[in-house]
Amino acid sequence: MNGNIYHDKRAQWVVYIVFFVSLGLIPVMQADPFLLNQLAVFGIYGLLAMSISLCWGTGGILNLGQGIAFGMGAYGMAMTMQMQSQDPEFSPLPSFMSTNGLEQLPWFWEPFWSTGGGIFLALAVPTIFSLIFGALMFQARVSGPFFAIMSLAMLSAFYILVLDMQPYTNGANGISPRMPLEVAGYSLDPYSPAAYWLIFGLLFSLTVLAKLLNQSKFGQIVRALREDPERVRFLGYNVALYETLIYAISAFIAAVAGCCFTILIQYVSPDQFDVVFSITMVIWAAVGGRLSLIGAIIGAFLIQGSESYLGDQFLNSWHLILGFFFVIIVRFLPNGLAGLLEMLLAKRSRSSTEESPPHGRAKSPAAANAEKAGV
Amino acid sequence: MGGVLEIRDLHKSFDSHHVIQGFSMDVVEQTLSCLIGPNGAGKTTLMDLISGRLKPSSGSVRFRGDELSGLSESDIARRGVGRKFQVPAVFKELTVRENLEIAFSREVNPFRNMLKFRDKAMLAKLEEVSVLVNLENRLSIVAGLLSHGETQWLEIGMTLMQEPQLLLLDEPIAGMTEAEVDQTAKLLREVRQHSTLIVVEHDMGFVRRVADMVTVMHMGTHFAEGKIDEIEANQNVREIYLGTEEDAA
Ligand SMILES: Nc1ncnc2c1ncn2[C@@H]1O[C@H](COP(=O)(O)OP(=O)(O)OP(=O)(O)O)[C@@H](O)[C@H]1O
Ligand SMILES: [Mg+2]
Repeated sequence: MNGNIYHDKRAQWVVYIVFFVSLGLIPVMQADPFLLNQLAVFGIYGLLAMSISLCWGTGGILNLGQGIAFGMGAYGMAMTMQMQSQDPEFSPLPSFMSTNGLEQLPWFWEPFWSTGGGIFLALAVPTIFSLIFGALMFQARVSGPFFAIMSLAMLSAFYILVLDMQPYTNGANGISPRMPLEVAGYSLDPYSPAAYWLIFGLLFSLTVLAKLLNQSKFGQIVRALREDPERVRFLGYNVALYETLIYAISAFIAAVAGCCFTILIQYVSPDQFDVVFSITMVIWAAVGGRLSLIGAIIGAFLIQGSESYLGDQFLNSWHLILGFFFVIIVRFLPNGLAGLLEMLLAKRSRSSTEESPPHGRAKSPAAANAEKAGV
Repeated sequence: MGGVLEIRDLHKSFDSHHVIQGFSMDVVEQTLSCLIGPNGAGKTTLMDLISGRLKPSSGSVRFRGDELSGLSESDIARRGVGRKFQVPAVFKELTVRENLEIAFSREVNPFRNMLKFRDKAMLAKLEEVSVLVNLENRLSIVAGLLSHGETQWLEIGMTLMQEPQLLLLDEPIAGMTEAEVDQTAKLLREVRQHSTLIVVEHDMGFVRRVADMVTVMHMGTHFAEGKIDEIEANQNVREIYLGTEEDAA
């Protein structure tokens, strides 16, 4: 069988290895700490785009509220880092709290005295929240645009909540821990290659796990329910459970990205819950190709990369340009740049199959073209 | 040989529209019952009620002694009821192979399925079913590219992958060529060796070839039941069919 190399699992893994090895080598060749820090932030965008690809690409769940998990993760890490620079005896209260009239550390800040406990909560709270929110929505068979709107509404609610709870969150000013994250006595300098490798190590391992998830029976079932949840139900699968899980796994990845964000930037504010940012994540995945994890990651790199270089020149019109680009992609390349590559490679494999004589009940060229092996 | 399925005094109404009105039926193990009746008689609705897509207004559906009404679609499927829809429902974007693989639902636990990559039992079943439904050479094609008849076969194949004890097939030969109909008839006779089938079909020639028992539905009621010869000789049955033909004319 002479299929499209795009669907060849071995070729896919080769691309993954080459992609991540070259990313991992960057700090060896490039020592400028500021550039390295900026590139590490791109790794976070990659994580977010990949999480969208899992939820929206594999599962067909358009999530415009990924900022919820991202923001919760970022705040959780900021609280952890903030408490690292507090002293239980002499200064148990972050200064913004006393400015806002608090006399005691709020109960939900207490667990963040422990670094391990804090990071655990930063990841567990958004994941559990998504399990509950997802279960409520999917059990009630909320889907498609309705789910997108619900997720957006929920995100806005969080934005306002964080903004309003000034004494607990420092409102619009956000939290800016004084010191970098310290783990087991080691201070993680956000401008160091170590921080860069941490982010890209996470991006690499989570992407590989997500890819394995996509290739498992679980992934197959989720892809099927993207197309026809009703049919999947009649095959005996609990669709709501599968949807809730893929949504929560995606949220977990976004929470990891949130933690990394605070480690790198040492600052968190309600902007992390900003609606525009969450929509931008979806645009990354759409442009790169939501059906391809690595495509979505590259989409994030391309868009954010061009924003850093072109955004300055175009200033306010940047979002307009981005929106225009998005419309073009959605209209002409529904599967993004990865879809374009798939098409081009299919053309190639088609011209090579036409030369060999068909045997048996051979596929028509069009059939070979549309042949798909999944991820 | 007992009754697999017992339907008792089933009612279903949409708003004020009474679609199923006191329908009762017994289905015997390892038989193929054909369900016939004019358009709008309520055949598809009955299948929806058995498979959990709709909840009955009243009445009961018992499968091997257990009440089905009230259970979710997936729970009913788990108990061994497979369903083929009137409008073929396959995953058009996925390959034929993937369609069949997904339908193999012995394991429904999502966590265990996350660790499942190669499944020997599934592959064996896939081989068996793909030959049965004549798709062994079409496995890597996207399902959306199949012909009408092949799509029907794929969906029948999917229900077989589920290893059901009771198959509900809603108009399985619609859109098939003569040759395909022949093969489907053979296939259904073969499936009957191990499971029980309820087949909704309009084509009386086909019904004659496959049915052990024929049940006639009319306006949501159990109108007549018997062997095909009895049904074809039944004056009342002729009238309801003629009636609808006159309406159509
Ligand atoms: N969801 C619904 N809401 C209202 N009425 C419905 C609904 N579903 C079916 N009906 C009505 O119930 C009646 C029976 O429909 P059903 O589809 O069960 O008939 P059928 O016997 O399968 O017919 P056909 O041979 O055309 O497939 C029809 O009059 C139809 O209009
Ligand atoms: Mg019908």
